[in-house]
Amino acid sequence: MLDNLSTSLKDALKKLAGKTVIDRAAVDELVKDLQRALISSDVNVKLVMDLSKAIRTRSLDEQLPKGTNVREHVLRIVYQELVRLVWASTDVKLEPQTILMAGLQGSGKTTTTAKLARYFQKKGMKVGVICADTFRPGAYDQISTLCAKINVPCYGNPQEKDAIKITREGLESQKDVELVIVDTQGRHALEADLIQEIIELNILTKATHRWLVIDAALGQQASEQARRFHEAIDIDGVIITKMDGTAKGGGALSAVAETKSGIVFIGSGETIEDLERFNPDGFISRLLGMGDLKALVERAEEAIKAEDVDVNAMMKGKFTLRDMYTQLEALNKMGPLKQIMGMLPMGNMQLPDGVYDVTSTKMVRYRIIMDSMTPGELDDPSLISSSRMQRIARGAGASPDEVRELLKYYKMMQRTLKGLRGGGGGKFNMQRLMKRFSGMQ
Amino acid sequence: MFGGLKEKLQAARNRLGTSIQGVVAKQEPPSPETRTAEPETPLPQQKTISSTAPTFVDKVKVLIIERELIVSEKDISEALAELEMTLLESDVALPVSDAIIAHVRTNLVGKHRKIGESVDALVVGALKSALLEVLGKGFNLVEYVKTHAHPVKILFTGVNGTGKTTTVAKIGAFLKKNGYTVVIGAGDTYRAGAIEQIGVHAERIGIKIIQHQEGADPSAVIFDAVQYAVSHKIDVVLADTAGRFHTKSNLMNQLEKIRRVMKPDLIVYVDEAVAGNDAIVRAAEFDRTVGADAVVLTKADMDSRGGAAISIAHTIGKPLMFLGTGQGYDDIMPFDPAQVVEDLLGSDT
Repeated sequence: MLDNLSTSLKDALKKLAGKTVIDRAAVDELVKDLQRALISSDVNVKLVMDLSKAIRTRSLDEQLPKGTNVREHVLRIVYQELVRLVWASTDVKLEPQTILMAGLQGSGKTTTTAKLARYFQKKGMKVGVICADTFRPGAYDQISTLCAKINVPCYGNPQEKDAIKITREGLESQKDVELVIVDTQGRHALEADLIQEIIELNILTKATHRWLVIDAALGQQASEQARRFHEAIDIDGVIITKMDGTAKGGGALSAVAETKSGIVFIGSGETIEDLERFNPDGFISRLLGMGDLKALVERAEEAIKAEDVDVNAMMKGKFTLRDMYTQLEALNKMGPLKQIMGMLPMGNMQLPDGVYDVTSTKMVRYRIIMDSMTPGELDDPSLISSSRMQRIARGAGASPDEVRELLKYYKMMQRTLKGLRGGGGGKFNMQRLMKRFSGMQ
Repeated sequence: MFGGLKEKLQAARNRLGTSIQGVVAKQEPPSPETRTAEPETPLPQQKTISSTAPTFVDKVKVLIIERELIVSEKDISEALAELEMTLLESDVALPVSDAIIAHVRTNLVGKHRKIGESVDALVVGALKSALLEVLGKGFNLVEYVKTHAHPVKILFTGVNGTGKTTTVAKIGAFLKKNGYTVVIGAGDTYRAGAIEQIGVHAERIGIKIIQHQEGADPSAVIFDAVQYAVSHKIDVVLADTAGRFHTKSNLMNQLEKIRRVMKPDLIVYVDEAVAGNDAIVRAAEFDRTVGADAVVLTKADMDSRGGAAISIAHTIGKPLMFLGTGQGYDDIMPFDPAQVVEDLLGSDT
């Protein structure tokens, strides 16, 4: 359904494409589609209304810059307005500091605390964690297990019921670490005693940062909750969690607007490494249902050495088993296939479910099988006859069925990519647009 | 929860009423109108609509008795747009609000109806059926356990952080209070601390728990729990599972395996009342892959709007069984739509 939405947004943009004069009706339509896209991404309704009003006024009033067409003009305004909303400076400094985590129950504070500890640890800082969640059973076990995995000291006491006391003792015992992260119990704004508790924790820890953890799926309630938290402890950053699901994270946008802060990190997976710095381009693309090649490429650069693979190889030219091999290897480093695909600008096309069904263990099997193939076979899979299949299977210690499955998967990928390439100008225009945007801010 | 939604709907309804009243045309279809406005209201728990002076229903009734109206699309489009905003602000997912609005529109526009004597019954009847339609029948767990062969096996599913483990504990306490013996299978072997968490809960409420160590195969744990229940003549098995996103096909396959091994009588999908549009995406996906027989909405105390309930009910058409309303073991509320509707209409008419 979201796909439909972004398609309609793209259609609306298309209508503006050839125009040299601003067409009020077309702008209105675009704004309406934009509203729907944002609302279905859970952005606060009032926020969306204000935003769209600004976009409409600016689109109609502002002089069309020379050399740009109407569509570029409007899109630029849309983009600028959105960036203005999410873009606050959220420098993460690598210096001694205390971070207080706050958020609703089940938003992912504890997991995020561990991820943050890992993040700063990797940057070379000495990190310590205090578990001030005295309510949820197993909370201390959870954080201490996670911390043990990364060798970060974790202070806590499951027997003690007083979070303030634990924190005081924890600060005492972790005097020698540079960066302390205080994980707190989940609470919501209507629980007055818990809000009072976090106010006291804030005073006690003299926290450098108070970060609000927001579940990407949080809906309209985000504004209200963020406002109350902000009133209590002056939130200065938002972390969005669970971005590996299908939720768009619009609630975080509302929270940012409410707290006048910025998005600091994004959590997008269950392992302790799955934490990224916030990138407005990618986030906005996702909100609007448009792909974001930029983030993908950046990610690829991080994960792979330049000669390893060109992500865009997917998009061009012949696709052989050999390409698939390098891609499987590369994708493996970059994360789940679906996550990668989500970042590609093809919101309007449906991929067959099977494409995603290749788990990392399968990928390993596939690579082993491909290792048993001759260069000729890798370049031209159609060579593989049933006797060759037998040979490959024996060589790889696999069954011929597995080889067949691999070839089936290859064909599916090939078809998909062909579809991508042939899928019309839409996506590539989008790609160009996104590029242009990134140059503009 | 639902309080906020109710208030807003009330305003929207009044608005819709006014706009129809303004049309001094012919006749108007009270029921459809109200019906559509209502579905959202349904959720509003117990609270009465009351407060604001003449309710929409009153207005409609007056209209119906006094003259006839024909409603044209133009007359109501503005009001409908407002109603839609109201729904959206209450976290009813976009496609669902679209469906509701469309329903209202078709029912209202161009309708002609002669109305005579029992306006009251007509309005109330239409309202009631509309409300119940969206909310389904509700789900009486005690009744279910009573009428099914023991042990009754219940599997809990949902994405991360919605409150499955807490819900399992609450339902365990609830069943125990109703005189049933319960065993819990600690099927969340993935998240650090999850086994300890459910273990502490079980100990506090005095329920036997079957657990393996972290990283064990959840199917095996749950299988053991079922075996334990069979050999000890326990009435109900509650199987907790690790939170998982519907996008992770390996984890969904694991859940599928659990289902095969456990053969649950009931699959309960747990989500949070504060979820936005994504609620329908994941509910639909869980329903598609492993199925869902009933829904529990947690964290209902955080939110007075309750749009997620409408969204999920509308999307997968499964009854809402409980609302989680706080952090204590007693903070769980059986959801009885008939009662809710009765309360609503009682105060309304």
